[in-house]
Amino acid sequence: MTSGIGPLLFGMSVFIGGGAAVAGKIPAPDGEQLAAGRAVYLGYCASCHGENGEGQENWQRRDGNGELPAPPHDASGHSWRHSDDMLYRMISRGWRDPFNRTERLTMPAFGAMLSEQEIRDVIAYLKTLWTDEQRVYQDKASGAQ
Amino acid sequence: MSGIHSSLWQLRPAVILGLVWACLAATMPLLAQAESGQRTVNALVATESGLWVLEAEGLWRIEAGERTAVPLPIATASPDAFSVGANGALYLASRELGLYRSIDSGASWSRLTGGLPDKSITSVAAHSTLENIVYLYAPGEGIFRSKDAGDTWNLVDAGPPEPILTFLHSSMPGSMETGWLFAGTRRGVVRSMDCFCLWSDAGEKRGEVTVVAYDRAQPMHLYAIFDGRLHHSRNGGEDWEEIAAPKDVTAVAVSAEGRVYLGTRQGIYWQSGSHWERLDD
Repeated sequence: MTSGIGPLLFGMSVFIGGGAAVAGKIPAPDGEQLAAGRAVYLGYCASCHGENGEGQENWQRRDGNGELPAPPHDASGHSWRHSDDMLYRMISRGWRDPFNRTERLTMPAFGAMLSEQEIRDVIAYLKTLWTDEQRVYQDKASGAQ
Repeated sequence: MSGIHSSLWQLRPAVILGLVWACLAATMPLLAQAESGQRTVNALVATESGLWVLEAEGLWRIEAGERTAVPLPIATASPDAFSVGANGALYLASRELGLYRSIDSGASWSRLTGGLPDKSITSVAAHSTLENIVYLYAPGEGIFRSKDAGDTWNLVDAGPPEPILTFLHSSMPGSMETGWLFAGTRRGVVRSMDCFCLWSDAGEKRGEVTVVAYDRAQPMHLYAIFDGRLHHSRNGGEDWEEIAAPKDVTAVAVSAEGRVYLGTRQGIYWQSGSHWERLDD
């Protein structure tokens, strides 16, 4: 078993340290940004999170490797529960659930592959997959940063 | 005297006897309990300023060996949920009476109502580090959160599939947000980051969990009562081992120094090495 404080500290270390750009509050996308965000999503995210943000099957249960599968980004998921800043950091630096049996980042770090604007664009696109209520909730969370 | 009044007058011995019997039935268990020293501890919270003890009979604070009664907001209340905020604010919940807060160590209480559910509140948990954030659970509704120390509330999550019997907020690292919630259910212990992204089983141990507590100094360390027996986890709930403890444990708390306290029907115990010592009342 690889759980324990070591992987937790590793997971934490993904977010430690300054220097990385933070999102700030991301406004609602216009048509151009929406298209750009959709393109980023299809190119970098859809292979795991689904073409329409539906996530992987049984995403709420650990798979045979002891890892949590990629969750949905649509209304059935929980992306809307995170602030823009948190979403930016997860996309930029990656993420692994601290209780995964492996130590790898199951959510890869895209900070070296995507520009700051591309990350902002894809976050703006994700918001179109949520309900109005979820957007309001997330907007408040982002505003409280 | 009229016929009806006469009949009622004749019934008065029976009525009086019935009232006396009802009073005895209500008080005898309490008298017996007090005489035998049995006091059910509903909750224990260890803070820097001492040990808070919530019993069926009232709220107490134990500090430097002294036990002091803390007046309840309503003398006849029987609160069954209690938590202490990061700034020392007290939160007390009763199924019948709702939620109360004290910011002066119990000298006075305020009733909290803003946005609270109509249904009874069965559990309250103050954020482990952020003094203005408090959570509560109402069966059938879910988890409510306040970001202003209880003045206003919003429903933030339906909670885990199994109803919550008890829960706490933990500062265990690794959360996407500010910490974790651990909850005892009839299925076992479940946990969620406090973003409420996903409730999942904490380990594979099953059983009814009525008490959960964690060690602030070692936040991966948890304590839980599974089917009446005390268990300890060193890894955030992934693995549990039973540890020997006095019988009838109803509450657990861990001090900042890592000392474990148990509330039982026989009194309060604290862990001294591998054995338990009775904390004098």
